[in-house]
Amino acid sequence: MDHEAAQLEKQHVHDVYESTAPYFSDLQSKAWPRVRQFLQEQKPGSLIADIGCGTGKYLKVNSQVYTLGCDYCGPLVEIARSRGCEVMVCDNLQLPFRDQGLDAIISIGVIHHFSTKQRRIRAIKEMARVLVPGGQLMIYVWAMEQKNRHFEKQDVLVPWNRALCSRLFADSSQPGRKQPCAHSERSHPYHPPCSVCSCSVCFQEQCHSQRSHSLDYEPLMARMCCADISKGGEEENGFSNTLGKSFRSWFFSRSLDESTLRKQIERVRPLKNTDGWAHSTISIQPSPHASLDSGPQEPFSTREQNLDEDVFVEMSQKQLEWPRAPATMKHLCGDQQGEVRRNGDGNFLEGANTSENGMNAGDVEEGPPSAGRILRRISALDSTDSNPEETISVEDQQPNVLDSRAFMRYYHVFREGELYGLLKEHVAELHVLSSGNDHGNWCIIAEKKDNCD
Amino acid sequence: MKLLTHNLLSSHVRGVGPRGFPLRLQATEVRINPVEFNPDFVARMIPKVEWAALLEAADTVPKGPIEGYEHDEKFLRQMHHVLLEVDVLEGTLQCPESGRLFPISRGIPNMLLSDEETET
Repeated sequence: MDHEAAQLEKQHVHDVYESTAPYFSDLQSKAWPRVRQFLQEQKPGSLIADIGCGTGKYLKVNSQVYTLGCDYCGPLVEIARSRGCEVMVCDNLQLPFRDQGLDAIISIGVIHHFSTKQRRIRAIKEMARVLVPGGQLMIYVWAMEQKNRHFEKQDVLVPWNRALCSRLFADSSQPGRKQPCAHSERSHPYHPPCSVCSCSVCFQEQCHSQRSHSLDYEPLMARMCCADISKGGEEENGFSNTLGKSFRSWFFSRSLDESTLRKQIERVRPLKNTDGWAHSTISIQPSPHASLDSGPQEPFSTREQNLDEDVFVEMSQKQLEWPRAPATMKHLCGDQQGEVRRNGDGNFLEGANTSENGMNAGDVEEGPPSAGRILRRISALDSTDSNPEETISVEDQQPNVLDSRAFMRYYHVFREGELYGLLKEHVAELHVLSSGNDHGNWCIIAEKKDNCD
Repeated sequence: MKLLTHNLLSSHVRGVGPRGFPLRLQATEVRINPVEFNPDFVARMIPKVEWAALLEAADTVPKGPIEGYEHDEKFLRQMHHVLLEVDVLEGTLQCPESGRLFPISRGIPNMLLSDEETET
């Protein structure tokens, strides 16, 4: 069971991140304000680890603490290192730290990649082990309950959206790399520009409508939302400062996409269960590409699936060499699903090699040419007189250079209360301080109890 | 990899437990990375340092925190240099119990173990 779990994670977490690492950009890795706040609240001189740090977006949030980034994915760690971060490659399940050495740990969008309950518990217990008594752990995981999308099951394979490409900024004239803007990613419908800071991504309005278990979260987020954004601008060479007006117009133009697409999103095709696997299959979440078959005019660059990556990276026609045909993705996602069964104790794996069968790259070579039309917008950043309404259609001319199967990422999305329950029942060394919902993530802050170990 | 990081690292080879600390550092390429001196920051780090491990890893380190170190700028600067400015680019970290080597390349330690090696 554990071996199969590791295999699944290798194929649908580790290999995907490794292959897609070159395409990561700072833009798409949003720094959640609540996480930033957690880091900023740590005492000066604290030793902190970001377990699952990716490209290191949280590693420089607080200059008064020592933050170590750890990730399983070598290429991502290299990127973080190239930005001057202190990082290492390691496994959440076997953290290479001595006991009780760290003052705080963050685990943002990581635990949901473990494919069995036991592994998720192990990951949490490992982090608890290396915390000093009184040390705090913050965990973010994707919530099953989402406003904009519908997860059919808790164990899902989510296609990777190749629109997340760093090319947009590769040609930027900015010397060196700037830190990403502190704007938090939203997984909810676009909100009109914030009246306070005129930042179109500000989620201040959203703050008040956040469901949350703990009342701490709501006023906290509302209060710090805009403040953090402006602060983030100073600390991290704020993205919006760098790009200014064109940035804002870019985001604004994104909103138009989203509103026209909302109908599209809500029509996400429900997955049918094949015979014999009725109740226990992994769902493959249809990608936005999957709905392109309904007509040639849908804008391409929307992305409501990913919570921790930005929706849009828009690219100019010049910049873009778009080798990929969505047809194959559609074919893949829409018609097939992972044939993996969930058994009683919450593990969805049974037997070996089960995740392979659902996605056969060989099946997806053909696709109707008409489905290959990709629409994309002129990047507002590129043209001085940006016209957000313009779309371009692109013929699907190029062969499939990516194996779609390889870029399906596995997630175990959490139900409300599940993460809390996991800690309460299985990780006695941690005491939950607060829990809530932040932009489609269930989040928890817990403290290492004294007199443990 | 900074020496402050090394101070936290331990081997997790199966069966090794607390005897996996500290890892023996062999550096083949080291760089000095200037880092802004923050005396308050360094002073707060001092009590967290496992001193024996630091002495093993670094040559020129005081034998321990001196009295009144919080206000001793010379001491703090020395510690600042050792903990934060010395950067091991290439080398190995060796488990003192099992002998297993973990590589450091381009400043990044790779602490992954194979399935057989890890604790269950």
